[in-house]
Amino acid sequence: MPTLLGVYERPDQVAEVATRLRARGYTDLETYSPAPFAEVDDAVIEKPSRVRLYTLIGGLTGVVTGYAMTIWMANDWPIMLGGKPFSSIPPYTIIGFELTILFGGLMTALGLFLVGGIPSFGVDRAYSPRFSAEEFGVAVRCRDRDVSEVDALLRGHGAEEVTLVEA
Amino acid sequence: MTPPPPEGVAAMIRPAPVPPDSRINRDILSVMEGTSIGYWGLLGLAVFLVHVAGAIWIYQVYQGLGIAGYAHPVFWGAYIVTFVFWVGIAHAGTLISAILYLFRAKWRNAINRSAEAMTVFAVLTAAQFLGIHVGRIWKSYFILPYPNQRALWVNFKSPLLWDTFAISTYATISAVFLFIGMIPDLAIARDRAVGWRKLLYGILALGWQGKSAQWKAHQRTTLHLSGLATPLVLSVHSVVSWDFAMAIVPGWHATIFGPYFVAGAIFSGFAMVLTMMIPVRRIFGLEEYITDYHFENMSRFLLLTSIIVGYAYAAEYFMAWYSGVEAEQTAFWLRAFGPYWISTWIMIVCNVVFPQILWFKKVRTHVPTLFVLSVLVNVGMWFERYVIIITGLSREYDPAVWGVYTPSWFEMGIVTGSFAFFSMFFLIFLKLFPVIAIAEIKELAIHEKVHGHGGAH
Repeated sequence: MPTLLGVYERPDQVAEVATRLRARGYTDLETYSPAPFAEVDDAVIEKPSRVRLYTLIGGLTGVVTGYAMTIWMANDWPIMLGGKPFSSIPPYTIIGFELTILFGGLMTALGLFLVGGIPSFGVDRAYSPRFSAEEFGVAVRCRDRDVSEVDALLRGHGAEEVTLVEA
Repeated sequence: MTPPPPEGVAAMIRPAPVPPDSRINRDILSVMEGTSIGYWGLLGLAVFLVHVAGAIWIYQVYQGLGIAGYAHPVFWGAYIVTFVFWVGIAHAGTLISAILYLFRAKWRNAINRSAEAMTVFAVLTAAQFLGIHVGRIWKSYFILPYPNQRALWVNFKSPLLWDTFAISTYATISAVFLFIGMIPDLAIARDRAVGWRKLLYGILALGWQGKSAQWKAHQRTTLHLSGLATPLVLSVHSVVSWDFAMAIVPGWHATIFGPYFVAGAIFSGFAMVLTMMIPVRRIFGLEEYITDYHFENMSRFLLLTSIIVGYAYAAEYFMAWYSGVEAEQTAFWLRAFGPYWISTWIMIVCNVVFPQILWFKKVRTHVPTLFVLSVLVNVGMWFERYVIIITGLSREYDPAVWGVYTPSWFEMGIVTGSFAFFSMFFLIFLKLFPVIAIAEIKELAIHEKVHGHGGAH
C-alpha cells in the first residue's frame, strides 16, 4: 500500500491532521516528533500508555519478593539475633521497599521497550533526520484510490511538503 | 490503480530538499566534537591518578588493612568517610530529574542530564569504597543473599544489608533513568553522526523514531520512574545514616540522622553540580542553555539545605546537652574542642557560615563566587562525614579505650583516586553523550514558537 508523508512545522497542525485523518478512517498512520507533545500523542493514541501496568506489576512483585525473601531466609536457618523475632517486619520493610523500587523501575523500563516497540532494527522508510531536528512528520498508509484524498488532507492542514515514500 | 491527480504527482516526484537542522542540535552536539590538548591533559591526569589509587589498593589487598591509618578504636576511617561523601554527591541528579520533574520545574531541563550522569558516576565511585574498606575483598560477596554450601543466609536485621540493597537499587535505577532519558537524544546523534559514532549511537538509540507510541510510553516511563525515584532518593541517604544511627556510639545514636543526612546529601550534590557545570558551560559556550538563572536556582537550594544542615548541627548539640547523657555531652564537647577541632570548624564554616552569602542576589548571580563557594562546600561536606565518623568512634564510652586516628598516605591516595575516577567518567561522558537533554530543550523551544510567549522557564 502506498505511504504518504506530510511534513509539518508545528505540533498543533500535526494533532489536527491526525485527528482529522483518523476521523476519515485512515487509522494506519504514524507521527514522528522531535520532542514529546501531549496533543500530538493523544490525537494518535487516546488511551493512557500501558506502561503503567508494568510499573504496577513490577512494584507488587518487588514488595512481595522483599518480604518473602527476608522472612523465609530468617526462618530457613533460624538464628536468634539481639532477641528479635525471626520474622521482624520493621527491618524487612526496608528490603521490601528497595525491591519495590528496583523491580518497579526495571519493569517500567521493560514496559517502555514493549509498548514503544524498541529496540527495533533500522528506521521506517518515512523517517528522516529532519524529524530529529525541529519538524514533524505524519505518515499515512492508504489504498491506492485514497492517495489523492490523503494528499489533500495533509496539505489542507498546512503541510510544508507531501511526498510519496512508498508506492 | 486510479492514478492520482497530476498536480499531486508533480509534487511527489519533486526531490526532497536538504532537511534544515536544528540550531539546538548543533549547539549541544558540538560539545562532543573535537578534543583539545587541555582535555587530553585532564583525562590523562585522571587516568593516571586512578591507576595510582588502583596500585595502592592492590598493595593493600596484598599487605592488609594495616597500611591504612586505623588505630584502636577507630576502624572506620577515610574510606567510609569518602563512601558517604560520594553517596551524598549522587543525590543531586535524582533530585533534579525526579523531584523537580514531578514539581514541573522547567528549569531542570538544562542541567538534568549532566546531574543524572554525575549521579551514576558518584554511585559507582561510592560503591567501590564498600569493597576497598573491607579487609578480605575476596569474601565481599558474602553480603549477597545467595544459596551457598553452608546453607546460611545473610542477616537482614543489619544496617549493612539495608545499605547493600539501597545502594545497588539506587545505582540500577539511576542508570536506567539516565539511559532512558537519553534515548531520544541518542537518536538525534545517530541521525547526524558518521563512522564509529554512527554505529555506537545506532545501537544505543534502539531504533528510536519519536513515534507517538514511543513518546507516549516514554513520557509515562519518565513519570513513573520519577515517582519511584523520589522516595528512593530520600531513602538512600537515610539508610546510609542508619549505618551510624542504629549503633549506640555517642554522636551517632540520634533520630535526626535520616533528614540530616538527606539534607546534607542534597547540599553536597548541588555543590558538585555547580563545581562541574560552571567550567563546562564556560568551556563549551553553553551560556544560552545553562543560564545564570539555573545557577541562581541551584544556589537557592544550596542556601536552603545549608540552613537545614546548620540546624541539624545545632540540634545535635542541643540533644546531647538536653539528654543529660554524659557520654553524649563529652563526645560533643570534644567534637568542637577535642583533637578533631580543626575538622569540626572547617565543617561548620564551609557548610553553614560561608553559604550565608547566598542571601544576596548579587552573589547568587556571580558565577566565579558560586564556583569557589561550591568547592568550599564540597570540602566542608567531606569533613562533615569525617567529623561524624571519626570523632564518634574515637571517643566512645570508656576513656581507657579512646584513641586518635589519622588517615595514612595510602588512604589519601585512594581518596584522591576516587575524585579522579569520578572526573574521568565525567570527561568521557562529555565527549560521548549529549550533556544537555536536547529533546527537552526543544520541547520548550517549539512550545514557545507555537504559543509565542517569552520569559524564562
